[in-house]
Amino acid sequence: MNRVLTLASFNISMIVAERMGLVLSWALFALQFGIFGSLMSHLVQSTKVQDYFFFYGVGLMVITVFDTGSFVGRRFVERAHEGELPYYLSLPISRRGFLESQAVYGVVATILRAGPPLIGVLAFTGRFTLPGAFFALLSLTTLGLGISGIMISFSFIAFKSIDIYNAIIAGLSALLVRFSTVFYPLIFIPSFYSPVAVFSPLTYGADLTRWVLGFDPHLLLNPILAAVVVTAIALGTLSLSAGIVDKIIEGVKAA
Amino acid sequence: MAILISLNISDMLVTGLVYKGLVTFDYFRFLVPGIVVMGLFSAATDTGRRIWLALREGVVQYYMTLPVRTSGLVAAYIISGGLGGIVYSGLLLVIAFVAVPPQGIMNAILLLPFLFILATGIAGLAAFFASISRVGEIYWVYAQALQVSMVTISTIFYPASTIAQYLPGPIVVIAEYNPLSLAAGALRDSAFGGGALSTSVFANLLGVSLPLAGIGALSYWVILRTIRIRGKP
Repeated sequence: MNRVLTLASFNISMIVAERMGLVLSWALFALQFGIFGSLMSHLVQSTKVQDYFFFYGVGLMVITVFDTGSFVGRRFVERAHEGELPYYLSLPISRRGFLESQAVYGVVATILRAGPPLIGVLAFTGRFTLPGAFFALLSLTTLGLGISGIMISFSFIAFKSIDIYNAIIAGLSALLVRFSTVFYPLIFIPSFYSPVAVFSPLTYGADLTRWVLGFDPHLLLNPILAAVVVTAIALGTLSLSAGIVDKIIEGVKAA
Repeated sequence: MAILISLNISDMLVTGLVYKGLVTFDYFRFLVPGIVVMGLFSAATDTGRRIWLALREGVVQYYMTLPVRTSGLVAAYIISGGLGGIVYSGLLLVIAFVAVPPQGIMNAILLLPFLFILATGIAGLAAFFASISRVGEIYWVYAQALQVSMVTISTIFYPASTIAQYLPGPIVVIAEYNPLSLAAGALRDSAFGGGALSTSVFANLLGVSLPLAGIGALSYWVILRTIRIRGKP
C-alpha cells in the first residue's frame, strides 16, 4: 500500500507542479459557467427547466470529470508510447498495485480539477451545504473512476495504433457527452435519441449529482438506479482494465 | 477528420434539436450556421497543433533542409490552415444545407473566400500560440483557452441581443467583433436567411482576420529563423 501511495503521490505531484494548467482549467470553467451558462439560462424557458443555470453548472462539472478521467487514460497510453511504461513496470510494485496507484491518482486529479468549481457553483447559486458538497464530490469521483477505467480499457487499441485509439476516444467522447443529460434533461431528448442517452454513464453521473444537490427530481433519473449504475461502471471498468492491462502490458509500446 | 466532422454534426443534429424544444425561437435554425463556423475554427486551429508537433519532434529541422525559403514554409502552414478550415466547413455547410434549406446559396458561395481569410487568421493565431509554447505541454493550455474564450464569447450559441441584454459592455464588444461572430452572422443572415451581403461584414472580417494571420506568420517565421541560426528554438 505504501508503494501504491508513493507512486500515486509522484503522479499527483506533477499535476501540482503544473499549477498554471490547473488554475487555467478553473478559470475556463468560470468563463463557460458565467457566460455560456448565464446566457443559455436566459434562453431556456423556466417552464421547461426552472433553474437551468444550476443544471448547466452541474453538467459542466461532469464534463470536467470526464476530461480528467480521459486524461488519466491518455497519460497511461502516452507513457507506453514514450517508453516510460517499461520503467514503471520495473519498479518493485505489483501490476495490480500500479493500477491502484493510477486509480488513486485519478481520484485526486478529479478532486483537484472539479472540487473548486463545485464549491464555486454551489456558492454562487446559493446551494452550498457541506453534506451536499461532499456527496456530490463522491458522486463525481466515482464517475471519474468509471471514465478512467473505460479509457484504460481501450488502451490495448493504442498498443496496436495510437492514431486509431485517439480517433476512437474522440468519437466515444462526442457520443457520451451529446447523448447524455449533461446539458439537457432526459425527458427533452427526442425519442429517437433518448435510448442512446440511457447507455451513457454521464447520464447517471450527472443526474445523481443533481439529485444529491437538491435539483428538481422530476427532471432526473431514479437516484438509486443512478447510484447503482455509477458504482457498477466504476467497479466494472476498473476490473476490466486491470484484467486487460495485466494480460497485455508486458513488453508493449504504443504504435 | 471524420471524427471532427462527427463531433460537429452531433452538435448540429443532437444539441441543436434538443435545445429547440427548450428555447422559444427556432434554435436549431439559429445554431446550424454557428456550428459550421465552429467547424472552420476547429480545423484551422489544428495548424497550431501541427506546428507544435513539428517543433517538438524535430520535423522542422527536416523542413529547413528542403529547398524552400523560410517565408515559404510559413506561408504554406498558414495557407494550409486556411484551406483545411474551408474544406472542413464546406463539408459541414453541405450537411447544414440538407438540415436547414438555405435561402441564399449564391451568398454562401460568395462568402467562401472571406471564410478562407478568416480560417487563415485563426490558423495564424494558433501558429502564434504554438510558436511561443516552449515548455512541455503548455500549448494545449493555450489552445484550450483560445477555443473556450473565442467560442464562448461569440454569437455562435446565442443571439447578439441576448449578450447585449445580460452581459457587460466590454464583453458585448468582444463578442460583436469576434471573427467567429462575424462569420456566423453573415451565414445566418445571407446564406440561410437570404438577406443581402453586407460590405461592412466583409470589411470587419478582413480587418480582424488579416492581422491575426500576419501575427501568426511573423511569430512562426521568427521561430524558424532562430532554428536556422541556432539549430534549436
